[in-house]
Amino acid sequence: MILKFFEHIGQKTTDFFLSIYEAMQFTALCLIHMVQPKSYNPAMRMVLIKQIYFTAVGIIPLFIMMAFLFGSVIIGVVIALATQYNLQSQIGSIIVTFALNEFSPFFTALLISLRSGTAVNTEIAVMNVNKELNTLKEYKIDLIDYLFLPRILSGIVSVTSLSILFAIIMLGSGYIFTLFYMGMDLHTYQTLLANAVGVDNLLILLLKSVAFGFVTMLIPIYSGLKTANAYTAIPISVLNGMVKLFIAIFFIEVLSLVLQSL
Amino acid sequence: MLENIALIKEVHELLPTQEAQAHGIESLRLIDLEHIGLNRLNQCTSLEVFYVMVIRAMMAKEEVIFIVTPFFLIKKLARIEPVLEKLVLLNKEQKNIIILDNLTNQSHYKGDLCNIIK
Repeated sequence: MILKFFEHIGQKTTDFFLSIYEAMQFTALCLIHMVQPKSYNPAMRMVLIKQIYFTAVGIIPLFIMMAFLFGSVIIGVVIALATQYNLQSQIGSIIVTFALNEFSPFFTALLISLRSGTAVNTEIAVMNVNKELNTLKEYKIDLIDYLFLPRILSGIVSVTSLSILFAIIMLGSGYIFTLFYMGMDLHTYQTLLANAVGVDNLLILLLKSVAFGFVTMLIPIYSGLKTANAYTAIPISVLNGMVKLFIAIFFIEVLSLVLQSL
Repeated sequence: MLENIALIKEVHELLPTQEAQAHGIESLRLIDLEHIGLNRLNQCTSLEVFYVMVIRAMMAKEEVIFIVTPFFLIKKLARIEPVLEKLVLLNKEQKNIIILDNLTNQSHYKGDLCNIIK
């Protein structure tokens, strides 16, 4: 009885580390393909363009609306709190840090995960169950080059560009709130932001967006690839993929906070 | 369908998409199916899907093409001759086409176009 208990724990631990090792191996393989020029064949480039269109362009109207709604509310709360605690002198750096470093990449990653991450996970899982991946392999078409790399790159490009758009909208909303709460004119607000924005803020925005974009596509792809051979396994694959993706997004967020506090 | 056909030449011969698709259209035109170029899988009949699979196989570098149980792949196929004639039209590179089928379907293949090997 006790032996079986320890065997069970041992098996689970081995499986856990083995799955981490496999995931790392897959990540490394994708990164290697990313830097190889031969990966960028015409078919891959065509898929990449389509993926960027579906992930970044198709979402723009909804994204702008969401950015206005959530961005305005959040920045309004931040400005109201800053005013309440007499932090008006720090308002520029508070808005910049909050909009650029924290909220824009995080919110964009969540939105892209919900919209495109689920779609990619389902797509790869369906292709896996239908043996379409095997057909591609039969024709000696590299799955990483043709299927995975365009999706990962589109994730990186989309999350980065939409994060920048979100930050711009959020900073625009910030002006409306500073106008009402502090009676600040546009020129003063612009100067305040220009003085507060540093290279480090832009670098953090870019690095976080790239990291978020990478995992937003990589984890659903990996989850789709690991789908068992049945249609009933597809929802389970999407569910598992999304849980892992959200854990990864929160992990990156926490890691970035820890690194910034050093 | 066209994207599906063009993929082989795009990947293996690094042909630009338009050029690879032009090859695909040319092959579809040979068998009067150019109208299915922009169709998706669910918009095509099993016969059209079969021809697309054959064209895709013709685009690959392999010299031998195996077709397994065409009567199963193509729904309600009564006569194989029209299909064989189109295979001859498509086979510009003179590849070896081997059809594997059940003995019960043997009578369908009797004619000039096929060498039956048991």
